[in-house]
Amino acid sequence: METKCAVTRIPIEGELTIFTAATERLHLLDAFESGNEVEVDLSQVSEIDSAGIQLMVAAKREAVTRNTSLRFTGHSPAVFDVVELCDLAGHLGDPMLITARS
Amino acid sequence: MTKNIMIVDDSASLRQVVSIALKGAGYDVVEAFDGKDALTKLDGRKLHLIVSDVNMPNMDGISFVKAAKQLAAYKFTPVIMLTTEAGDAKKQEGQAAGAKAWVVKPFQPAQMLTAVSKLVLP
Amino acid sequence: MNLDDALQTFIVEAGELLEQMEEALLRIEQTPDDADTINAIFRAAHTIKGSAGLFGFDHVVAFTHVAESVLDRVRSDELRITSELVAIFLSVRDHLGALIAHIADGKEPDDDTHRTSAELVTKLRVYLGPPAPASSQALVPAKQNGTVETQAGDGVGTDNWHISLRFAPDVLRNGMDPLSFIRYLTTFGKIVHIVTVVDAVPRLAELDPEASYLGYEVAFHTDADKTAIEGAFEFVRNDARIRILPPHAKVADYKRLIDELPQEELRLGEILILCGTLTRTELNAALSHQTALADETLSPIGEVLVDQKLVQPQVVAAALEKQKQVKEHKATESGLIRVNAEKLDVHINLIGELIIASAGASLIAQHTAMPELLEASARLSRLVEEVRDSALTLRMVEIGATFNRFQRVVRDVSVDLGKDIRLEISGADTDLDKTVVEKIGDPLTHLVRNSMDHGIEPVEVRLASGKPAHGTVRLNAYHDSGSIVIEVADDGGGLSRERILAKAIERGLAKPDQQLSDQEIHELIFEPGFSTVEKVSNLSGRGVGMDVVKRNITALRGTVEIDSTEGVGTTMRIRLPLTLAIIDGFLVGVGGSTFVVPLDMVVECVELSAEETAASQGRDHLDLRGEVLPFIRLKQLFDIPDPPPADIDFAADDTFDNSNAPQRSGLPSTLLTAEGAAALARDPELAFLLHPVKRENVVVVQYAGRRTGLVVDELMGEFQTVIRPLGEVFSGIDGISGFTILGSGNVALILDVPGLVRRVAGREGRRNIQATTYAMAE
Repeated sequence: METKCAVTRIPIEGELTIFTAATERLHLLDAFESGNEVEVDLSQVSEIDSAGIQLMVAAKREAVTRNTSLRFTGHSPAVFDVVELCDLAGHLGDPMLITARS
Repeated sequence: MTKNIMIVDDSASLRQVVSIALKGAGYDVVEAFDGKDALTKLDGRKLHLIVSDVNMPNMDGISFVKAAKQLAAYKFTPVIMLTTEAGDAKKQEGQAAGAKAWVVKPFQPAQMLTAVSKLVLP
Repeated sequence: MNLDDALQTFIVEAGELLEQMEEALLRIEQTPDDADTINAIFRAAHTIKGSAGLFGFDHVVAFTHVAESVLDRVRSDELRITSELVAIFLSVRDHLGALIAHIADGKEPDDDTHRTSAELVTKLRVYLGPPAPASSQALVPAKQNGTVETQAGDGVGTDNWHISLRFAPDVLRNGMDPLSFIRYLTTFGKIVHIVTVVDAVPRLAELDPEASYLGYEVAFHTDADKTAIEGAFEFVRNDARIRILPPHAKVADYKRLIDELPQEELRLGEILILCGTLTRTELNAALSHQTALADETLSPIGEVLVDQKLVQPQVVAAALEKQKQVKEHKATESGLIRVNAEKLDVHINLIGELIIASAGASLIAQHTAMPELLEASARLSRLVEEVRDSALTLRMVEIGATFNRFQRVVRDVSVDLGKDIRLEISGADTDLDKTVVEKIGDPLTHLVRNSMDHGIEPVEVRLASGKPAHGTVRLNAYHDSGSIVIEVADDGGGLSRERILAKAIERGLAKPDQQLSDQEIHELIFEPGFSTVEKVSNLSGRGVGMDVVKRNITALRGTVEIDSTEGVGTTMRIRLPLTLAIIDGFLVGVGGSTFVVPLDMVVECVELSAEETAASQGRDHLDLRGEVLPFIRLKQLFDIPDPPPADIDFAADDTFDNSNAPQRSGLPSTLLTAEGAAALARDPELAFLLHPVKRENVVVVQYAGRRTGLVVDELMGEFQTVIRPLGEVFSGIDGISGFTILGSGNVALILDVPGLVRRVAGREGRRNIQATTYAMAE
């Protein structure tokens, strides 16, 4: 976790699924505890499921409640696919870079 | 990323046919011949789905699923149990053990493929 | 790996399962309540049905299904195992065997097969009780007609299906990811619009990360029917509230959908509009419909609403069924790999070649006398030996499976004969070469049948002689000095000396005045065309049999002997080599020839002193530490000429330094005067001193408890021997069982020790009888 210019950046690597949701939730809460804005790098997420998606939604809600901001960046293809499938891009509100996909 | 599926059944021919069908669809398949064998193969590898027979020697499917659900790496792995129409009591037991999806034996390879793709697409 | 391979696996596997089924069926009669055994029978049927279904063998599935249903009633204690039921299931097992055989031959089942299927199904149905009306269909969701009524008038406008999904909190923990079902929808249709209902998701601090909060409203376009859409969610049926509305569903249905989610009423309406499912007008109509709906009996919309109560009657049924813990049958640990027997044979043959090649290499190494090379070649030989041993164990299988088959034989034959005969098995874990196992089945069957037919007496006779009413046939196996011994024993009447003799004389197999030992009389039953039972039964009285049995066993380099006591019983003892392929041999030299004696039959090697050699001349037994040891001179037996007289340089004779070399004795000529030599030549007792006499060695071999000495010239040490069968031309040679190729490329004959021992024993036996006869005459 690196803190810089009042932004706490945390990367999520590997799975963002029911298997990791509990741990990632604690990481995210820690990040919010820093009092900074939070930026979550999703570029290394290999797999995401419903638990991952709702964790993202809940994190957004947390930010609203705390009156701070949370950004998801670098959506990996796995994340991109699911956000598209659920049509949640609008709700999550972060720009997703549409990369060339295989 | 290729999805990994474990098939547990004491019938070698069943495992072979299911393997052929699943591999043909693009999954990776791990085979195990009974509950015990399957447990030894739960060595931390990522599994997206476990397909297990109920009635097997050494360790039956229900004991196996119970044991698997105790392991952090497989706590939430979906399980398809193979059952007979007659196996309702077993089915309840299996539901309690954490196996929520059931496929009735006998099935055709295509039916297995359909069931699997409902839970995990290749 | 392709489907053909899998089919082969299925055929082999089905065979094994049927064998297990039969074994369990035969066991169940004795222990009718054993859950393990019942489960073993059930599982065999169940597994065959499951695999047959995979290959689309529907006739096998249909037939097995009925059998399985009956077995399931047994398993759940609704039905008790009776001997009639066992008999039916034995027929079921046989019929399944026939069905599988058809599959193996690539044939369609013929009319006879279908008829047998139908007959057995009829017999089985008796045990199923009155057929529950459409019992098998009852489990299928009641209404599955693919067509959906579209009603003009109050139907909504959209062409899309609408799917509304809410999941139970536990769905994720159960391994079910709602997203996977939605993804699956895309395999047979198009998601026109999806709204992820995130309203229930709390802030992170309050989130249970493993509970499910998401819901979905999906507008879905597909040509598939409702069953297909329902099917997508079959695994979450119990963990979700699923509503599927067809295209142009009634406004009232949407009203109901909205009513079901009161807390979402407003939002859901908006979502439906968002999905393009409802227009604003339609939504308003739905919402204003409320009062009108209140006491209206709803029109038949069951076919469009997935009614959870309808689709899961089995849950209710299951709740009523009493739970029964069935212990799993603890079959043997089966960490096994199936290997094609042919591949194994090729492997063993290659190892045979390897052994010969390695022997050749080590011979060359010895010639070069390079220490490094010798060491390397010794290491190589040792490894080759280990490889050979491990390869041979690959071919070893336990005899238990073969023995177990006889449960059925004994059962069936008992019924045919009207005798009560039980089979006892021991030594089932004794292992032996697979080829031997395959070939021993027929002779064994004949012996078992013979024991049951001729050995075990009728019940009245048994009771009269104070024996239990039921006869016992015992199969036993054990290892004994390089052989496997298989015994077929019965507690029947034993062989009748008089009757055999009388019959033998009648058939011209023996002469009335011939003196025969018990053993020799017993042997007579192996003579071609011998049969002692007056009444010819359909089992073993055809006069073919025991001679064929003996021939088969001899062909396996085995022997069969009989132990019988009149009134007590008979034991047939088959003795077979453990393996047919490779043996540890002991090389001996006789004249210029080399022979191999199977090492595991060698007890010891004794060197005969000159005196002993002289003393043994003209006799056929010698005194070995006080015991009489009959012996055979191989040189005489095989009529081997002495090697061309060696040009012996007596001065360089180093006999005492080289004990392994051919040892030559004799007096150095320099010590003898011509007169002395002449004097010696005149004295027959001392004449041998003149001529260099080879000191002889005796290899003591043992077979079936009998010892015999083989007199040879030279002991050449151990040698791994790959047995090659003698060709037709040589197969008649007595005392030889095969040949092998030595490392040098020369051929060595393998001695048929059992044959030689028998020959000596016969000689001895006759002598004993003569002695007894003389003694009695005096």
